[in-house]
Amino acid sequence: MNEDLILQHGLTLDEFKIIKNYLNRDLTMEELGIFSAMWNEHCCYKTSKKWLKKLPTENEIVIQGPGENAGIIDIQDNDGIAFKIESHNHPSYIEPFNGSATGVGGILRDIFTMGARPIATLDSIRFGLIESEKTKYLLNGVVHGIGHYGNCIGIPNIGGECEFESTYGFNNLVNAMAVGHVQKDKIFYSKPKSIGGLIVYIGSKTGKDGIHGASMASDVFSEDDEDDKRPSVQVGDPFMEKLLMEGCLELMSLGLIESMQDMGAAGITSSSVEMASKGNVGVLINLDKVPLRQPLSAYEILLSESQERMLAVIDEKNNLKVKEILQKWQIDYEVIGEITNNKRVVFESNNKKVVDLPVDIIVDDAPEYDREFYMPRKRKGKDFDFSNIKLEDIINTLLSNLNYLDKSWVFNQYDSTVMGDTVKEPGQSSGIVKIHGTQKVIGATTDCNPLYIRINPYEGMKYTVAESYRNLIACNINPLAITNNLNFASPLDPNIMGELVLSIDGLKTAAEKFNTPIVSGNVSLYNQTNEIPIKPTPVIGMVGSNQDLKKINSNKFCNIGNKILILGKQLEKNLSPYLLQDQNLASNINEYNDLEELDLDYEKKVADCVLKMSDFKYIMSCNDISRGGVFLSLLKMQYKDMGFKVNIPDPIDLFCEYSAGYVIEIRNEDLNNVSSFLSKNGVGYFEIGEIIKENIEINSKKFDYFDIINNYHNNFEKIIN
Amino acid sequence: MSFKSAVITFPGSNCDRDALCYLQDLTKGVVYNIWHEEASLPQVDLVILPGGFSFGDYLRSGAMASKSKIINDVIKHANDDRYLLGICNGFQILTEIGLLEGALIQNKNLKFLGKNCFIKKKFKNNFNLSIKEDQVLQIPVAHNEGNFYCDNETLKSLKNNEQIAFEYCKGEFSNSEENINGSIEAIAGITNKKKNILGMMPHPERAYSDFHPSQDGKLIIESLIT
Repeated sequence: MNEDLILQHGLTLDEFKIIKNYLNRDLTMEELGIFSAMWNEHCCYKTSKKWLKKLPTENEIVIQGPGENAGIIDIQDNDGIAFKIESHNHPSYIEPFNGSATGVGGILRDIFTMGARPIATLDSIRFGLIESEKTKYLLNGVVHGIGHYGNCIGIPNIGGECEFESTYGFNNLVNAMAVGHVQKDKIFYSKPKSIGGLIVYIGSKTGKDGIHGASMASDVFSEDDEDDKRPSVQVGDPFMEKLLMEGCLELMSLGLIESMQDMGAAGITSSSVEMASKGNVGVLINLDKVPLRQPLSAYEILLSESQERMLAVIDEKNNLKVKEILQKWQIDYEVIGEITNNKRVVFESNNKKVVDLPVDIIVDDAPEYDREFYMPRKRKGKDFDFSNIKLEDIINTLLSNLNYLDKSWVFNQYDSTVMGDTVKEPGQSSGIVKIHGTQKVIGATTDCNPLYIRINPYEGMKYTVAESYRNLIACNINPLAITNNLNFASPLDPNIMGELVLSIDGLKTAAEKFNTPIVSGNVSLYNQTNEIPIKPTPVIGMVGSNQDLKKINSNKFCNIGNKILILGKQLEKNLSPYLLQDQNLASNINEYNDLEELDLDYEKKVADCVLKMSDFKYIMSCNDISRGGVFLSLLKMQYKDMGFKVNIPDPIDLFCEYSAGYVIEIRNEDLNNVSSFLSKNGVGYFEIGEIIKENIEINSKKFDYFDIINNYHNNFEKIIN
Repeated sequence: MSFKSAVITFPGSNCDRDALCYLQDLTKGVVYNIWHEEASLPQVDLVILPGGFSFGDYLRSGAMASKSKIINDVIKHANDDRYLLGICNGFQILTEIGLLEGALIQNKNLKFLGKNCFIKKKFKNNFNLSIKEDQVLQIPVAHNEGNFYCDNETLKSLKNNEQIAFEYCKGEFSNSEENINGSIEAIAGITNKKKNILGMMPHPERAYSDFHPSQDGKLIIESLIT
């Protein structure tokens, strides 16, 4: 086989040699395609596997950890929560609408493949600077795509994050997360149960879209690649997915299916190989039976990533019943093969075996690399000059920076209330939905602080996990588990590899302390275009619960006259990276001071106090403190005609970042109780001010209330247009 | 006699479950869920055509659903002077069937709109009896094609016959515009001339439980039952 062909398939010559030595024969084109699909980063995690193994993935509530379509945790009674986050970065850059739409479609399939009904989606999207027309185009397309798919299938979008930063200019990030509810005794896995079971194809017909999508997603881009790669982007049809979802959930509820696997990245290849590998069995599939949209070769069928397709194993006796139900939902259905006992993956086409490979070599012998990595350099301490920074200027820069502004423009394009169970809509500390027919609620949030992680990957990752944790705690949601989406540039650069290794270590440390295991995730590498690597962006999706929806905290002010307290530890202004960046004090990444070490014990102690004070009903409203400091936190809490007045020795401190930081609103009469409760638990607080009517006052200086509120809510839309 | 009702499910409906819960919780009577391919409807007091993307909005929102098998019986039900309520995609289906006048075109900013909106009643009918004059209701909208359009003559007759049930308005402390989607005269919902059929874009079935930000959606069912 010629070398160019091998390299075009994303395999190294060394990797190819391993395969050939094992098989002791030449490969067919179809087989080469299979290795191309299965041995890339996206499917086999060859760079990250060694490090991902270190993450905590189990505790008493984990029902299913990494390795299945989604992770599942136990939230008592017969209720389980399935969730996962996944990236669709490269497709969303090439074709923002379809790329992001199919990102949502793919993650929803991961959820209902396990028998769970999706109940919420979230996202984490990052773009370059808005001054570029390209960014406007990408932002519009991505938000439209996410909205279109989720709105049509009818799953509420309950939150997420949206950041603008220069390194994402030619490599935007789109990570989509989905959460589903499953009855614990009705979970479905991808492992087939019996030899001789029928392998059935359910869903859309197969077309040319997305051929080589998974290997594209593992590639470095250059700007002029865009047009060439466009045919590799899948096209989504949320209507078909809605039918597929209802059809599959009906089949599962009737017990007509043994196991199921969605055809996502690397299509029928990956789903059938996974099935064989999980069940320690073989598969025999006749590609001539696959429903096609257009004439395709065996090679193309194997690698197509057409959307809205499922592979399932059923008992032959259920064949007619399955067919009848899927007919009602107008879904294509075909028996295409069977489960065999020979542990081989065999595909036939035109009465010829085009693929005949042992499962072991595809899965177990997939390469695993221990790439070289560098530790970050030590940072020199530096004092920044704040003498020219005025309070008004800081407020003005915040209110003209997209990263701080209210993002209603984004989430008003999403349906957040469909299904009728939404308790907290996007734009608040975390999104919350009720488990249908119960009083239980699930809270979820996505977060990442790329700047922190570039400064110090280990500590920065701890801050990122702690921020997700605080988002849930502020709502009185008990954090339970994590899904992660590790977005990095090329791991062939030992500096980038170092960021990957150390941030996984930081994730491990924080997740162990908070007892929030990592139950699912995704890795997206080679996020760099024109040699500009993205900032390290390991996104965290954290999920938690409360058994009683009445105990949820408001994130908005409740009453004029109530006191405002600050909990937590403020980072000194020279140690607040976003403050330094956004006030243009630090212009180069090397100038920042090292991050202050995050004290996870203190973080947990303060969080426990917030949860208890919420249950005691001391807390009238609460918000976490993150980028933008206390000031932005207060602004987010503003509601109706309420404003705030605060007193603070150095007003610049209002914009500093925090660890364990919360703003809480309490009634005057509870101040003594709150004070003694906090001191008994060794948590300090600062009484910063109170809620007042239609005013914002800092150290007795009055600011234009309506101006600030209107700018906060309306400037996002003004800036992007 | 207890109040009986039904919700029709089309392929792509995604507010059918919400509408069923809304009816079950508020009417306390029997509620049927009817698949679009069924030939007949049971005798009920109210039929809801729910929101969603019936048939994926292919061709035009509501166009394919308006040709479904069950629609013949839905028309019969309405001709018998019983109540028929179309919410969001249901409203679009009603205009496609021709049971309601006008059409719903793309929102004026050409984007999907998912947020809380504010409406008040314009002319009295049996769907809004329990709502006071000038009472502002907070109810979510979620639509891409909710911009009500009709020609001048139709508009005149809608007014003369007092067929405008709801119009968008400004909410207290809300900084969003009054007419959120560009509808003619900010129309949010209309009835037929006999006023037993209502189509509306806002979703009352998402505003009735204690944990919803507003319970104003209850008023529509309360109006019909009392």
